[in-house]
Amino acid sequence: GTYTFPLSLPLQEGKYYSEEAEVDLRDPGRDYELYKYTCQELQRLMAEIQDLKSRGGKDVAIEIEERRIQSCVHFMTLKKLNRLAHIRLKKGRDQTHEAKQKVDAYHLQLQNLLYEVMHLQKEITKCLEFKSKHEEIDLVSLEEFYKEAPPDISKAEVTMGDPHQQTLARLDWELEQRKRLAEKYRECLSNKEKILKEIEVKKEYLSSLQPRLNSIMQASLPVQEYLFMPFDQAHKQYETARHLPPPLYVLFVQATAYGQACDKTLSVAIEGSVDEAKALFKPPEDSQDDESDSDAEEEQTTKRRRPTLGVQLDDKRKEMLKRHPLSVMLDLKCKDDSVLHLTFYYLMNLNIMTVKAKVTTATELITPISAGDLLSPDSVLSCLYPGDHGKKTPNPANQYQFDKVGILTLSDYVLELGHPYLWVQKLGGLHFPKEQPQQTVIADHSLSASHMETTMKLLKTRVQSRLALHKQFASLEHGIVPVTSDCQYLFPAKVVSRLVKWVTVAHEDYMELHFTKDIVDAGLAGDTNLYYMALIERGTAKLQAAVVLNPGYSSIPPVFQLCLNWKGEKTNSNDDNIRAMEGEVNVCYKELCGPWPSHQLLTNQLQRLCVLLDVYLETESHDDSVEGPKEFPQEKMCLRLFRGPSRMKPFKYNHPQGFFSHR
Amino acid sequence: MERAVPLAVPLGQTEVFQALQRLHMTIFSQSVSPCGKFLAAGNNYGQIAIFSLASGLWVELGNSVLHFSLAHDGPVYSMVSTDRHLLSAGDGEVKAWLWAEMLKKGCKELWHRQPPYRTSLEVPEINALLLVPKENSLILAGGDCQLHTMDLETGTFTRVLRGHTDYIHCLALRERSPEVLSGGEDGAVRLWDLRTAKEVQTIEVYKHEECSRPHNGRWIGCLATDSDWMVCGGGPALTLWHLRSSTPTTVFPIRAPQKHVTFYQDLILSAGQGRCVNQWQLSGELKAQVPGSSPGLLSLSLNQQPAAPECKVLTAAGNSCRVDVFTNLGYRAFSLSF
Repeated sequence: GTYTFPLSLPLQEGKYYSEEAEVDLRDPGRDYELYKYTCQELQRLMAEIQDLKSRGGKDVAIEIEERRIQSCVHFMTLKKLNRLAHIRLKKGRDQTHEAKQKVDAYHLQLQNLLYEVMHLQKEITKCLEFKSKHEEIDLVSLEEFYKEAPPDISKAEVTMGDPHQQTLARLDWELEQRKRLAEKYRECLSNKEKILKEIEVKKEYLSSLQPRLNSIMQASLPVQEYLFMPFDQAHKQYETARHLPPPLYVLFVQATAYGQACDKTLSVAIEGSVDEAKALFKPPEDSQDDESDSDAEEEQTTKRRRPTLGVQLDDKRKEMLKRHPLSVMLDLKCKDDSVLHLTFYYLMNLNIMTVKAKVTTATELITPISAGDLLSPDSVLSCLYPGDHGKKTPNPANQYQFDKVGILTLSDYVLELGHPYLWVQKLGGLHFPKEQPQQTVIADHSLSASHMETTMKLLKTRVQSRLALHKQFASLEHGIVPVTSDCQYLFPAKVVSRLVKWVTVAHEDYMELHFTKDIVDAGLAGDTNLYYMALIERGTAKLQAAVVLNPGYSSIPPVFQLCLNWKGEKTNSNDDNIRAMEGEVNVCYKELCGPWPSHQLLTNQLQRLCVLLDVYLETESHDDSVEGPKEFPQEKMCLRLFRGPSRMKPFKYNHPQGFFSHR
Repeated sequence: MERAVPLAVPLGQTEVFQALQRLHMTIFSQSVSPCGKFLAAGNNYGQIAIFSLASGLWVELGNSVLHFSLAHDGPVYSMVSTDRHLLSAGDGEVKAWLWAEMLKKGCKELWHRQPPYRTSLEVPEINALLLVPKENSLILAGGDCQLHTMDLETGTFTRVLRGHTDYIHCLALRERSPEVLSGGEDGAVRLWDLRTAKEVQTIEVYKHEECSRPHNGRWIGCLATDSDWMVCGGGPALTLWHLRSSTPTTVFPIRAPQKHVTFYQDLILSAGQGRCVNQWQLSGELKAQVPGSSPGLLSLSLNQQPAAPECKVLTAAGNSCRVDVFTNLGYRAFSLSF
């Protein structure tokens, strides 16, 4: 059967047909069935039409027409169904859309709420993290707070329980304390001002006192003289001392102190012109006036002649080497009434000190020829400390200054300026370190004090030993070796060999001698030493002794080198016994020092050489091939003549038994 | 290595004294260690220095390894080494040291012995030490004109050989017999048979015209022997002798008195007054003269220890503070110094 549409159509308002409404009433499943049925019918009808058409005939057209009409009806059904399907689809879509909208709206709401939650959470965290300025303030501890704060601030009953209130209270207390302290500070400031003003007033009072005291001093002068208390003189010296340049001042102070405390034989004085010293520090206005005057003068002189380059350089040199107008004089008096006069100068531009020395004796000295250099001002203080020859400036910065004005070395000027020994710098408190050259070297009192005593003692010893040598040389030149009675035990009673000559030798000549090479090679023959030649004779035997006298005599022993002319020339290179004799005086010198201060060392060494020559000559073994008796019969008592692989002679003298033996 | 002439250095009292001591130092004796790597040298101040030959050879610095002060009161005239000990002798005493201990500081002597001397007025010196390996004994000779034998195990003095009329300079050992030769100031070389303790032969060198030099004296300063041959020198000329016939076969033409002589391979090495170490052929020809650094030499030492073939050197010392080292007999390689 055919399916027919329901006749009761739903009527909408306005009485029009609404297919949309119809859709809701129909069952989609049944519609689908209807569709399938309709398609089937159509297919059947088409097939039948096909059949009929192919058969042909008269009835066919009516049959076909019938079927055609039925097909049309079916087509109409299909169209309706199609329309319904479309409407259903649209409806479905609309519904979905609506639902989706709703969901979206909810979703949006959710997002908003979440966002808000997050925001609020952030705010909460911020609030929780907030640090109030008050936490940075170091508040006093709780116990202290409760102890110290007055009750109206601390409000213990309230604050104990409530931390917020407690903190507020503590802050209050802090503020209170700060206010109080600020007040105190202001008070103290004003106090200070007051006191400063008082000091000013007192200072003025004191300075007005000074001239009054001066006048009292002046008035007391006659009294001082009457009572022999020359305070004024010392005071005057101190006054002058104020104008000394710092190194000389250090020297003056330290030397005076040392002299007063330890050594009454030391006297200190200041020489020179105080006015010139003051003039060095003239204020600029005055010098400008001078300049204008000197300019005027110069204008006149330049017309006449121009100073040459050489003269200019000379002037520059003179300027560089200028000495301070004041100098310090030290006089050291020794036991035998001889005096060492030392004058210390300060070279201002070079910042070094120099010294000039002079020795005077109680009685006038007749200088033996060989003693010329012993007490000469140029060399008497040479090498007071080992190596301190005083020929070079101790300040390394001076070299650059010298280069500018063409000075090669300070030694060209020492005769005039004095010697810049290192100990002189030390006494003036000047220290020039080699490793780190300093910009300015300032005078240091402690350096001077630490060197004063040793240096003074060395100076005295030096003068004494030089004077002793002086006396001894006079005797030596006459062929007498002056052996004191307390040194007689070192030698046998009878000494036959005699000293016949004692002369000075120049340094270059010493270096040229053929038998002194060992000493020169060992570095013991520098140009600061003094050199002498002694000649000892007995019979046909002549013994030459070249002597090196170190300035540090007698703590540094003189060194002897020997050359014997007897049956040929014998020196330490071809005769072991000559070498042994040198050893007896050079190495075993300590036995020959005699009583302190060892002034007898040189003379004892010379006497020992005479004894050694005696032993050498008398113990020489007799040559069987030569006729005649020995030139020197043996008179010395010896236990054995030869000993050891080198066949040494018995050079050691034994006291008091009086015989000779081997070392 | 020659030192350049130094400028005058600021020398205080101690530096000057030390320089003077070194200038007047004489090295009398040397001895090589059993391992062959070290050399001991004794000087006139009684000091013994130990030098390291190995480091000296390779580094050429020549500094002493260790320095003794006052090993002896007087000069150290003679030293020998056994396979473990160093024996040193000088003024009257012989002392023994352990080689192994010597390289450390503050080493003390193991023992010291003094032979029974006749006189007590002056302590005689000991100029020569000789080891007799077969008997394990040591022979000492010197200022009292006698040879003393000391047993190294017990330390007792077993025999005394008398015959010299003046002090004894040197000793030599003839392994075969065993016989000891001694040379002395009296000008005689005497042979002693150790078993019978008697003098079996005497050669008075100065009485032979070929070699006597009266202007130098008659003293015999050095002695060396090689089976039937003996070479000796001193005041008389350096001469080679045939022992059985007591005849001088070769006189070596050198004027300076020789203080040390030794046989080496087919040569004779001698040294004495004068700078040089002389090398002689047995025929009497001078093969070479090698100058050293000291003006006179007193002792030669050949390091022939098998344990250290790289240190095989000749060392010479005498009138200075230096020991010259010759690695090749032809020239002086360098010097070690006290």
